[in-house]
Amino acid sequence: MHARMGLGAGSAARFAGAGALVLFLCWQHVQATRLGYQVESARKDAVERRGRVAALRVEFDQRLSPEAVAVRAAKLGMIPASPDALRRLPERSSAPAGALARLWARALVPLVAASRS
Amino acid sequence: MDLGLRLTVAAAISLSPLPLLGLRLADLQVLRHGALETRAAGEFERVAEEAAPRADIQDRAGRVLARSVPTWSCFADKAMVKDPAAFAAKLAGALGLSAREIEAKVRSSGRFAVLKSGMTAEQSEAVKRVRVDGVGLVPLQQRVYPNGDLARGVLGLVGTEGKGLAGAELTLDKRLRGEPKRFALIRDGAGHFIYKNLSDDGRVPEPVRLTIDRNVQYLAEEALRDSAAKSAFKSAFVAVQDPRDGEILALASWPPSPLKNPLVQDAYEPGSTFKIVTALSALDDGVVRLDETFDGEHGRYEVTPGVFITDHEGEGPMTLAQILEQSSNIGISKVVERIGAARFFRMARSFGFGAKTGVPLPGETSGELKPLAELTKVGLASSSYGYNLQVSAVQALGAYSAIANGGTLWEPKLILDGQAPVKVRRVASERAVRQLGEMLEGVVDRGTGMTARIPGYRVAGKTGTAHKVDPLTHKYSPTSYTASFAGYLPASAPRWTILAVVNEPKGSYYGSETAAPIFANIARRLLVLEGIAPDRPTDAALATARR
Repeated sequence: MHARMGLGAGSAARFAGAGALVLFLCWQHVQATRLGYQVESARKDAVERRGRVAALRVEFDQRLSPEAVAVRAAKLGMIPASPDALRRLPERSSAPAGALARLWARALVPLVAASRS
Repeated sequence: MDLGLRLTVAAAISLSPLPLLGLRLADLQVLRHGALETRAAGEFERVAEEAAPRADIQDRAGRVLARSVPTWSCFADKAMVKDPAAFAAKLAGALGLSAREIEAKVRSSGRFAVLKSGMTAEQSEAVKRVRVDGVGLVPLQQRVYPNGDLARGVLGLVGTEGKGLAGAELTLDKRLRGEPKRFALIRDGAGHFIYKNLSDDGRVPEPVRLTIDRNVQYLAEEALRDSAAKSAFKSAFVAVQDPRDGEILALASWPPSPLKNPLVQDAYEPGSTFKIVTALSALDDGVVRLDETFDGEHGRYEVTPGVFITDHEGEGPMTLAQILEQSSNIGISKVVERIGAARFFRMARSFGFGAKTGVPLPGETSGELKPLAELTKVGLASSSYGYNLQVSAVQALGAYSAIANGGTLWEPKLILDGQAPVKVRRVASERAVRQLGEMLEGVVDRGTGMTARIPGYRVAGKTGTAHKVDPLTHKYSPTSYTASFAGYLPASAPRWTILAVVNEPKGSYYGSETAAPIFANIARRLLVLEGIAPDRPTDAALATARR
């Protein structure tokens, strides 16, 4: 009679499992809701930050606009160059010219590099 | 009563409401499920929309010409405002407006009142922090042009609903507009939102890159501004093109307007800048020898009895090169008599006059080229020097680019889309184009275009001065002109074709005095900008300038 009225070990395990599952699902739902709040808050934050980035980019572009640069250049006393002010510089040789420069390139540069390493 | 019976009765009593509850549950969950679910969703679920920004418009180097930035509009729902004075006092600081101004808006008619628009993210946050009933914020996208009025005739305009109304904003509207992101949200009891899922990913459009060069555009607009400051005229415009591929580098007009682009939408009588068509036709068909002369009739020539053509300076015999250098109407009309109407008309069509160029801007004009049948002797003569017909600036620019690049007419390109430039046709033989190019250099070196000279550089071009038709009398006005200069440089390897047109100049009205200096101003700046070495280093004027 006692054996029939009480729960068996298997049934108890099943009850415990079901209870745990219900608790897990509840916990999961709570977590999902909490994450939902966080995602929505982060989304709003991202929208606001994107707005700030866009506004800063526009300000950056405005400062670099040709008219703004021309105004700043004029304040510094600069004037547009004329084509006859153009000078074509001769091609620079890769080999250093002059005795001191050659000495620096051949002897001292490797020494400095070796000391640093 | 035994225990079993008592338990049965207790169970029956306690379980007796279950069938009723079951029926009610079935009614709610099965029969009225749809309606109730919709009602619940309406109360708790929301779909939030995040507007996709309109795509950037960039110049050829990727520098931003137009950009959309999120802004907020603040409004008041007057039905929820109980005390307008207190409401205004609370919001004044956050909105940066006076309390009196806010109160006046709240007391105005209508349920909703816009308190402030174009607000930044910081300003909208400040409003949110003020806890007051009846205030709301609407996110919007505002179109911003960081370079001010630069290239606004090309860029155009966007309406308050984010739709293109003019210029490239209109023609590229579909490409520029994105699709908004949509999110499903649930609102809790306190009114806070819980993110549920992303219901629509939306589409953020790619930036559109134009062939316009921001710096070249600025130089063109600055030259027009400078010219307007020095001399008076009704309006003016400048176009710059790369003759090597037809890419348009600048389209500037003065006074600037985002609603209209006269370079594309307006047609004008080109005057003597059109003489290149007559000259090239003569050279290409070999009907005129380079050393052959035409009598200038000392400035007055009777084409048909009673109809005279005059030159402002009387000349004697002139070669074709001299006709162009002196811009002789009599000389060129004698040349066109030799060519004939059919050849002249064919060459004009070959240059693309009388047909739309296909530039992707709204309202392009095709200009006007009289049909071949209407080209009488007088009509043909006047057409030979650019009267009796109308062209658009983009057409004229393309024609001079064709001379500059050796004879290829390109479709004007305004959008850098990775597609190769479209070659429309070859307008004439390489030989004829080269000969015409040399003559156009002579115009700048010795002729009417000397004001376009730049020491050290070979410049080719042609001046134009045309009487305008008086809209009241429908006759040519003796006091109203269109002055122009079209040319290219450096002539040894042309990089830029520049067209400058001045509409109704006051005082000096010749193309050489009004338009050619604008050309030279822009050309000089471009040479410096690109660091182009002189292609005529032996120029005596260059040595003088450097001294």
